[in-house]
Amino acid sequence: MLVKVLAKSSFSSFVGALGDYGDLYAPVKTSEKVHSFKEIESLTDIDLSYTRTMIPPKKFFIHPEEVIFEFNIDEELYIEPPGGDERIVLFGVHSCDINALNLLAKVFTEELPDKYYLERKERSFIVGVSCVPDEYCFCHSTGTSYAQEGFELFLHDIGDSYFVRVGSLKGHEFIATHPSLFEAAEQSHYDSFKDAERKMYASFTNELEMAGLQDLLDMAYESEVWTEYGDKCLGCGSCNLVCPRCRCYDVEDHINLDLNTGERVRKWYSCMLSEHGLVAGGHNFRPTARERIRNRFNCKGSLREDMPNCVGCGRCTVFCPAEIDYVEVMKKVRGDLK
Amino acid sequence: MKPRVGIFSLTGCAGDQLQILNMEDELLDLVSHIHIVDFQEGSSYKEEGPVDIAFVEGSVSTETDLKHLKEIRERSKVLIAFGNCAVEGGIQAMRNDEGSIDERLKEVYGVEPGFFDARLSKPLSEYVDVDLDIPGCPVEKEETLRAITSLLHGDTPLRFTYPVCVECKLNEYPCVIIESGKPCLGPVIRAGCDARCPGLGLDCIGCRGPVDSASGFAAEYSMLLEKGYSKEFILNRLRVFSGEVKEDFLGGDQ
Amino acid sequence: MKVNPLEPMKAKITEIETMTEIEKLITIKLHDREYAESFSYTPGQFVTLGVMGVGEAPISICTAQNDELELEFCIRNAGRVTNAIHKLKVGDTVWGRGPYGNGFPMDVYEGNDLLLIAGGLGIAPIRGVLQYALQNREKYGDISVLYGVRCYDLMLFKDDMLDYFRNGDRHGVKFYLSYEDKEDQVCYGLACERDDRCMHGMVTDLFKKIDRPSKKTYAIIGGPPIMYKFTIMQLEKLNFRPERVYMTLERRMRCGVGQCGHCIVGTGKSIKYVCKDGPVFTLWDAMNTKGMI
Ligand SMILES: Cc1cc2nc3c(=O)[nH]c(=O)nc-3n(C[C@H](O)[C@H](O)[C@H](O)COP(=O)(O)OP(=O)(O)OC[C@H]3O[C@@H](n4cnc5c(N)ncnc54)[C@H](O)[C@@H]3O)c2cc1C
Ligand code: SF4
Ligand code: SF4
Ligand code: SF4
Ligand code: SF4
Ligand code: FES
Repeated sequence: MLVKVLAKSSFSSFVGALGDYGDLYAPVKTSEKVHSFKEIESLTDIDLSYTRTMIPPKKFFIHPEEVIFEFNIDEELYIEPPGGDERIVLFGVHSCDINALNLLAKVFTEELPDKYYLERKERSFIVGVSCVPDEYCFCHSTGTSYAQEGFELFLHDIGDSYFVRVGSLKGHEFIATHPSLFEAAEQSHYDSFKDAERKMYASFTNELEMAGLQDLLDMAYESEVWTEYGDKCLGCGSCNLVCPRCRCYDVEDHINLDLNTGERVRKWYSCMLSEHGLVAGGHNFRPTARERIRNRFNCKGSLREDMPNCVGCGRCTVFCPAEIDYVEVMKKVRGDLK
Repeated sequence: MKPRVGIFSLTGCAGDQLQILNMEDELLDLVSHIHIVDFQEGSSYKEEGPVDIAFVEGSVSTETDLKHLKEIRERSKVLIAFGNCAVEGGIQAMRNDEGSIDERLKEVYGVEPGFFDARLSKPLSEYVDVDLDIPGCPVEKEETLRAITSLLHGDTPLRFTYPVCVECKLNEYPCVIIESGKPCLGPVIRAGCDARCPGLGLDCIGCRGPVDSASGFAAEYSMLLEKGYSKEFILNRLRVFSGEVKEDFLGGDQ
Repeated sequence: MKVNPLEPMKAKITEIETMTEIEKLITIKLHDREYAESFSYTPGQFVTLGVMGVGEAPISICTAQNDELELEFCIRNAGRVTNAIHKLKVGDTVWGRGPYGNGFPMDVYEGNDLLLIAGGLGIAPIRGVLQYALQNREKYGDISVLYGVRCYDLMLFKDDMLDYFRNGDRHGVKFYLSYEDKEDQVCYGLACERDDRCMHGMVTDLFKKIDRPSKKTYAIIGGPPIMYKFTIMQLEKLNFRPERVYMTLERRMRCGVGQCGHCIVGTGKSIKYVCKDGPVFTLWDAMNTKGMI
């Protein structure tokens, strides 16, 4: 892995260079409890001390709501909306979210490549930043507290400077075109990087034992846990809509008043919503909150491509209006097999 | 032949009809596709005979309403409950469980039964088959237009079957329950307003009525109790636009 | 070749046959010749069929691959999209994507006996299996079909089915029929015609009529969810090994390609996407994936 050092005194020039490279998005505090990746006008908008945004950066790749085709009935045409050509720079992405994007990319691009995803991935530039866990983070348990890949550059705060890992050719080229910003890494930088990582790892207070979770969930299929939390759940879907690993979507056709043209739209969806398991004839495979919450936790607790389907970001707990705590539920599952 | 459309009104404020008039940009286009046979608020013109699509706003609150509704049903292919009053009974239904209409008329006006032509306010579905509901107080222009367009195209219109929270999240609005403990009804109220109120930092008061699966009602009730709101406050809040909210419904089966 | 897997491909309706009050048999021809020629599938696979401005729905291909470059679908009017398809006429355009799903592994069954069990709309994918097996008759041993209908009016593919019923032995297939409606005169007539092959009752009652299946039999089931439970109980009584029982499942689907998540089943131990990992699963899969049946 190529490694560089970025002095904090060069930080504003660095951000300026990112802004020159493409449209710059970074975490911005939008309310008391919410941060959001927003387009950056001025450096002071960026709040790198954030823990998590409410809506994860997946919104740049699979838009919350997007037209996937325009259609014309008379002309018998489905037309793909043109992709953008602007480069998107995502600055300040945390390890959990990068790991989440890595999996999402597998789901959306491996077997049957999703054009929209690929096209956006192609023109994105991801800059990771190290973080400090709060009481809801448990990414060290899910093995996602460190991102091995899926970024162009990753900045680790080591005091006076950032220890920069280079994750892709695009990242390398960026450094090559801005040589004055970066220094070579010395032994002392490596040492500080190791220290910082150790410190971060030691500062987790939330923890979920992962060993065997998949089997335990299976054995807890008839457990009372699902009734207990199903009763509490409002069925609002927030937990899934804020989850960086959730990828469920719905598709709708909207026709215009000319009765000829229209759009096929896809939008984020959630298995906590009552229609997720409904089929024709009115049969619902997950008719009550109990089955729905059980499905959600089983999906989240499963492995996909050998990776856990939850990256431990804590969003679903923080943003559940009913205060249903992901880790608490999973801990109950571990303790209550049936 | 252009489909014959009627826009009818029972007991309500006529705000839903007004929303149709408010579709300034689309109205001309729209009337080029349909033939309006009855639209009290738009014109005094009226035609008898069969109706392809009937929009009915207002709740059934009088014997006259009921008779009118049955006549509309008779002559209409597709009958749409239009607006919260028609779908849930409206604000006038929020006290339905507090005594009979006769007792209440006596209490308020001191009149004997039969003096007024009044009944307990009920949604249309209480008396006739309803083919589609377009909720809201008032209805959303966009949703109404989409429904009409869909019907003109010969399909069943799509309905919102998920709660306001979904739109709230897709818009990245901060959740007012989480931010400041406001008694938001978003989790149990039918989406379609694009989370207008939470977008302004306000708690949803439920003007679009309950989302199909009422499974969240009991949970919403306990959540708000836990946040310190009184039982009376919560019930009143839920009743404003959600018709009769029975207490056992809140604790009962999902 | 197609670059966007979500892009629907144009097809024309070439034939429509009204089968019952709610089911039509629709034949389509794909517009793009190259796509049509590359369109190879096995029975049990499905496509998403769509109408512009309305949406898409997953529908099983109910034939075995043939040279006609035409595809047949048995479509029940069950909701928005299927209703819109029912309104179309010959010459109209429909839109398709696929083929999707795994389909029945016809090669695995080679050299074995086949016991096909279908109820209701489940006959659609099973018909493809039967056609394939008959087209490749020498590759398979005994073939028996158990088909359950509510009444004669609701029987699908009547011509085919009656032909199998009456002349099946000549084609090398033993065809059994059950009907639920006691009053049904036509079915009663069929039962009189061959009381060893047709009876009043559920499809599972037909197990009384058949010879004991050999050890090298594969059971292949298509039907509504409730039918699986009872059919599987019968098969277990006959000591079928769970990997010799195949079935095709229905779930809500939006994408058909493993993205939208609607068709998810299972637990942390085993999550399956019916569109991509299925819709055909073995009983062994079902035993290891809770919620599947
Ligand atoms: C692998 C697979 C193979 C299949 N093969 C076949 C086949 O060969 N033939 C066949 O006919 N079907 C088949 N199906 C089933 C078919 O895909 C469904 O019937 C499909 O959902 C129909 O889509 P639709 O848009 O017509 O129905 P939808 O409109 O999506 O209806 C689906 C559900 O929504 C409900 N609904 C409909 N309208 C409304 C409304 N206005 N308000 C509230 N709820 C409503 C219905 O009650 C129903 O439960 C298959 C399914 C799968 C998964
Ligand atoms: S399940 Fe919860 S903690 Fe895990 S990735 Fe999703 S939102 Fe984060
Ligand atoms: S099934 Fe539920 S938990 Fe799984 S990805 Fe979809 S919304 Fe998320
Ligand atoms: S966010 Fe909480 S209340 Fe809403 S669906 Fe998820 S678990 Fe239920
Ligand atoms: S503010 Fe209201 S509508 Fe928005 S997420 Fe919170 S509870 Fe739901
Ligand atoms: S139908 Fe979309 S994942 Fe299976």
